[in-house]
Amino acid sequence: MLSWIYTRVPALSRRFAAGLDAVVGPVPWTPARVPLERATVALVTLAGVHLRGQPAFDMRNAEGDASFRVIPGTVFPADLTITHDYYDHAAADRDVNIVFPLERLRELAAAGRIGGVAPRHVGAMGHILRGEERRLVGESAPAIARLLQEDGVDYVVLSPG
Amino acid sequence: MATVLIGVVREMLQKVPAPRNVFVPFRLGQIFGEAGQEIQQRAVLMDTLTAFARVSAPGTILDLPYRWKRSVYRDPL
Repeated sequence: MLSWIYTRVPALSRRFAAGLDAVVGPVPWTPARVPLERATVALVTLAGVHLRGQPAFDMRNAEGDASFRVIPGTVFPADLTITHDYYDHAAADRDVNIVFPLERLRELAAAGRIGGVAPRHVGAMGHILRGEERRLVGESAPAIARLLQEDGVDYVVLSPG
Repeated sequence: MATVLIGVVREMLQKVPAPRNVFVPFRLGQIFGEAGQEIQQRAVLMDTLTAFARVSAPGTILDLPYRWKRSVYRDPL
């Protein structure tokens, strides 16, 4: 119920944003040197998407779950599911592309609009606090960056739930 | 690797910006559009990807002009 209200009342999200600490220091920057038509693209979603056969994200920890799941670029949407109690994903349960548009990315690759779809993509959770935030920054985020780099990914699209 | 972040809460993109940011005025849980609307989803994803060519200053936010069902979406295919 709370996730339903939160999803439909944008003012609540804006109020949450107002309470966030501002970023101190410069925003990091990696230049985009490859034309999109030659770039390998990966998706990283915080919408709680994972394979049905993978462990679900831990919704019992009030600090969230900073672990992540690797999703093959060739996966069928029917093999994906969503574990995330902090937003209403009823529509995404019917069509996962609205939070994790892997099929749309494959279509863009087939049409030559991008160079290719990365072999591995990442599902993780938003709503990460305190200890789990430290685990995300110290462990999960660097591990995600490493695996995408190993795959020769040029560009990454990050999206929340 | 270069990154772009798409979001539906503009204030959040302003407060904690990624290198490139794309704001679309949709709902949480429906960031790339409506279920079953493939053209809409492709258009939003393609517009997000154009940020790699269009953004040259860290923290820039691109505002997508869409208004959910009231907009006409051009298929990038």
